[in-house]
Amino acid sequence: MMQEEAYVGENTIQESKIQKSTNQENTLQESTIRKNIILESTRQWKDFLSLNLNLDLRKYERNLKRFNRGGLCLFTFFIILALFPALFAPYSPTERFIPYEAPSTAHLLGTNDIGNDILSELVHGARISMMVGFASACISTLIGLMIGLFSGYFRGTLDELLMGFTDVVLIIPKIPLIIILGAFLRPSIWILILVLGLLSWESIARVIRSKTLQIREAGYVKSARCMGFSSFHIMVSDIFPNLFHVLLPKFMLATASAMISEASLSFLGLGDISMKSWGIMLSFAFSRGGFIRDMWWWYLPPGICITLCVMSIALIGFGFEGREKENGKRGVDAE
Amino acid sequence: MSLKTEKLSKTYGSGLLGKGKCIFRDVSFELEPGKTFGLMGPSGEGKSTLGRIIAGLESPTEGTIHFKGSLLSGMKKAEYVTFRRRVQMMFQDPTDAFNPRKRIEHSIFEVLKLLETPGTEHVRRTEEMLKTIGLPEEVLSRYPAQLSGGQLQRLALGRILLLEPEYIVLDEPTSALDVSVQAQILHLLKKVQAEQGIGYLLISHDEAVVRFMSGKMGILENGKLKVVN
Repeated sequence: MMQEEAYVGENTIQESKIQKSTNQENTLQESTIRKNIILESTRQWKDFLSLNLNLDLRKYERNLKRFNRGGLCLFTFFIILALFPALFAPYSPTERFIPYEAPSTAHLLGTNDIGNDILSELVHGARISMMVGFASACISTLIGLMIGLFSGYFRGTLDELLMGFTDVVLIIPKIPLIIILGAFLRPSIWILILVLGLLSWESIARVIRSKTLQIREAGYVKSARCMGFSSFHIMVSDIFPNLFHVLLPKFMLATASAMISEASLSFLGLGDISMKSWGIMLSFAFSRGGFIRDMWWWYLPPGICITLCVMSIALIGFGFEGREKENGKRGVDAE
Repeated sequence: MSLKTEKLSKTYGSGLLGKGKCIFRDVSFELEPGKTFGLMGPSGEGKSTLGRIIAGLESPTEGTIHFKGSLLSGMKKAEYVTFRRRVQMMFQDPTDAFNPRKRIEHSIFEVLKLLETPGTEHVRRTEEMLKTIGLPEEVLSRYPAQLSGGQLQRLALGRILLLEPEYIVLDEPTSALDVSVQAQILHLLKKVQAEQGIGYLLISHDEAVVRFMSGKMGILENGKLKVVN
């Protein structure tokens, strides 16, 4: 009873307010109706597409949601930059103008010590930096996957040997070793890729091994073994697809860390100067007067590019990892 | 035509360091076609390990297994492959009985491909199998996560039946299911046994389940097997 009275009382008080705000409400309602109409029509469009053209937009949307969207946008931008540098670069990176120019409309980021346009250099550097990152991540992921899969699946002596080897590689200090190697080998981007790839697979191998050990005890692997499927078949069709959600974020993180290593090595002067990556640009800005002359437009942009690119890749990796974990909890692993 | 074990022992963790822990010793029993041998006992006494050894997933530390009169460890490769197909194992947890990333039909056809069944036969064999286990054809296009525990356990049995096994090790086949589904699965197992004359090694905690299914019964306790009728 008390509650009802209070409710009625409140109503009478609010009535006057409501009348005042009817106009506002009407406009509000209109806008929500309009929004609903738009939503409805997009929904119908999607239905139409999926029915008639066999183009299921919802599926793509769902897949897109797995990734971190901000990271994905940034990453796409850098990929386009790397694939079509000519679209963005105003000049060729080797074209020469007046050296040490400040930013102007002709040269948005000025020119460097030999008169190359810095913006063009930056755009063309994206391809090399990302190529080093992805290529060495491919190598390390492949090695890590192989070693992890074999030692996790076969266990026993092979496991002990492979994991012992992994531990040995794990305690090698990476950057000093690469510096020594870089000093002895002639500077080349391919050697850099190979060295970075060959020295950064241990954490991937360990993660893959532990996941493989876990999957190996799952019913479907045990029954496949019972039925007499070959080890190769079990590894490829039963274990690998279920490792994928661990592997992808690891691959992304390996790419990011390889890019950082490449930048730091190039900065130390161990890179390939014929292929100008962002790290080499930083190195030149340091050694050829960019820092002394306080030319922030020379040394800041490559640094920012490295940071943003690495961040976007790491974000995608994290996003994917988080999404997969959620899915795993809800038990919709299959979708 | 039976599957016989003689003086099986299993020791875990023996290696360079230490002598390891003995799970069971001198276990001998015999599985006969068309009959069920119930294996009971407290947890951690090695019931599942024994099952895995029979199914060929692990090797015993000592002792021998005879399949149709020939020694398992002395088999040639071709013989071993037939043994592998003739002795199958069904596991406790139906939710991971199928690869979660593949549709059910993939997992079923995979087995038929392994058996080198001609491609034209695949659909017919699958239909037959579904009829035996009493499931509609829609389940084929689903992912394992979209099916219930009972359906998955039926499918797991159906997939094993495609291999035309002579013995199936049932490792607690019903303990992850609720009671009404348990009864369905047990009746299905009995029906299949009667039709195809398969010998079961039934591992279970539940005495009622074992009594329902089996003629002979063994209790694995303190590392010894005690056979009761």
